Amino acid sequence: MAKNLSGDLSVASANRLVDGVVVFLDDAGQWTTRLEHAAVARDKRTGEILLERARAEAFNVIDPFLVAVTEDDIGRIEPVSLREKIRASGLTFDAIAADAVRYA
Amino acid sequence: MPDTHFYRPNHFYQYDDYDRTLVGERVEQFRDQVRRRIAGELTEEQFKPLRLTNGLYLQLHAYMLRIAIPYGTLSSRQLRKLADISRKYDRGYGHFTTRQNLQLNWIKLEDAPDALAALAEVDMHAMQTSGNCIRNVTADHYAGAAIDEIEDPRIWCEIVRQWSTLHPEFSFLPRKFKIAITGSPNDRAAVRVHDIGLRLWANKAGAVGFEVIVGGGLGRTPMIGKTLREFLPRDELLAYLEATLRVYNRYGRRDNLYKARIKILVHEIGAEKMREEVEAEYAAIKDGALRLPVDTIEAIARQFAPPPLPHRPAVVAEVEALKLADRDFALWLKSNVAPHRMAGYRIVTASLKPAGAPPGDASAVQMEGVADIADAYGQGEIRVSHEQNLVFPHVAVEDLPAVWRALGRLGFAEANVGKITDIIACPGLDYCALANARSIPVAQRISNHFAELARQHDIGDLKIKISGCINACGHHHVGHIGILGVDKNGVELYQISLGGDVDFGKTAIGTILGPAVTADKVVEAVDALVGTYLDNRGDGERFVDTYRRIGAQPFKERVYAAV
Repeated sequence: MAKNLSGDLSVASANRLVDGVVVFLDDAGQWTTRLEHAAVARDKRTGEILLERARAEAFNVIDPFLVAVTEDDIGRIEPVSLREKIRASGLTFDAIAADAVRYA
Repeated sequence: MPDTHFYRPNHFYQYDDYDRTLVGERVEQFRDQVRRRIAGELTEEQFKPLRLTNGLYLQLHAYMLRIAIPYGTLSSRQLRKLADISRKYDRGYGHFTTRQNLQLNWIKLEDAPDALAALAEVDMHAMQTSGNCIRNVTADHYAGAAIDEIEDPRIWCEIVRQWSTLHPEFSFLPRKFKIAITGSPNDRAAVRVHDIGLRLWANKAGAVGFEVIVGGGLGRTPMIGKTLREFLPRDELLAYLEATLRVYNRYGRRDNLYKARIKILVHEIGAEKMREEVEAEYAAIKDGALRLPVDTIEAIARQFAPPPLPHRPAVVAEVEALKLADRDFALWLKSNVAPHRMAGYRIVTASLKPAGAPPGDASAVQMEGVADIADAYGQGEIRVSHEQNLVFPHVAVEDLPAVWRALGRLGFAEANVGKITDIIACPGLDYCALANARSIPVAQRISNHFAELARQHDIGDLKIKISGCINACGHHHVGHIGILGVDKNGVELYQISLGGDVDFGKTAIGTILGPAVTADKVVEAVDALVGTYLDNRGDGERFVDTYRRIGAQPFKERVYAAV
């Protein structure tokens, strides 16, 4: 799948204040935990506007910032950096469960 | 197992009313701060130093609560409470760290005050686990039980804890400050790589005092500490520490975060000048209020009086028979069981490194299981080692088969302590906001590759330590094989170093082998290192001994031919 690697696509992200969960700003100006619902800025200027908007909506989140993303042919977005991929998708290994006595 | 739920007195320091009031007030203070933050009365900029002071970090996916375990000592009751807190306020597991702390990785801000209140119920807290202050003091995890021990270092850890808790002069140091104390000639507390390391030893006259080692540390600029005082009388400890901290507070750099640790000060002005400054300050204060009265020392020492251990046989037929009948038990005895100061007892290490597991992680059920074993067979006491394992300091030889079986049911009986799969690893990029690369998945792959126990024992003692960034929480600089994750243009690479060590008298910072390797080649690289060692080792040589003898070149050639 061809990817837009122009480096100009971005979404606004932050951590939710009450629990630290990773959130993204959507088109309606709401914070969502789902990356696929995030508003995508398609150039640097729009990115700056998106970040300003995120900061204006930051009452219940911590330190909004822009995350560089790519987009494939069917509109799926994915963070560029591994760090942001992990923030968006979670641990890259299976953590042990509370009732586990052996690691699976 | 025998009935485990009965009252058992602890054989370490017990909070008094002063401690409980202090911790209780801090919980309520933080509860109000959290309320004000959620209500929008405090900005994040205002709130961040307050939450960090209470051990609450914001990591990649969630808040993380770092809980202090003073000198790595826990009662079974405390461990059960940690399990309960992890289940109630987190995801039911925790991560034991190289600072003998416990980290809960999924705490909610709104729950943090309740979690701290629950901790306070068992005389625990998370204060001074962050910030530029004196952090939780660490100790030899065999303290009070080791056969080679001169004096229990935890007595002095506790004295330092009381002195340093909320110390107003040292609450805003140039940078964080870590102290470790050992009471044995065999250093199991890595004292030469701490801001201050203290080693208890007896001089020719039979007097016990401290060697004071200052300016060690890992991180961006690894340094081995310098001895400022060969022998410091014990009752002068606090005055000498105060003098050292005061000199650091006065001259330590605050203009550059990366040059703010005391090791940089000692390096820049030299050990001799540092000694002069400290001794001058010390001379001015040594006869003041910080000279410890004998009765104060004795009162604290009494709380660390060893448990009354009844005579138990040193040689037990069942143990000898099982050793012959079961290879895994025999290997476990060799690697996970250490001599005790009493002949009929042993120190047992529960390996938190079963094959393929994230190093140092334990589920709530496992923590409760360990607490049960401690109550049934171990005087209700548990230690956290800086190598991310749990230790039962007092187990009768007769009880070793039962403890081994019980640990086996928990998945903690892997006979790998000190072996290639007993890997230290920081949380890395999977959790940590500072990390550049993942640590845990790398540790898991190495662990799975070398899982076969007989092979591990054939390879022998080999310490692999992995950090996900240059801050070196995984102590990679002092690993026989150190692995440092770096980010190069968005790709995780791993830099390998060889020859690091924390053994006393042999403490060394590892040397980088060559270019970093990609994540998918780390196991092959380690395999090549091990192969080189096996092909070259002399009689009785450990990996690091062979490396010292033959140098890096043979290892380098084989690794870069393999990857």
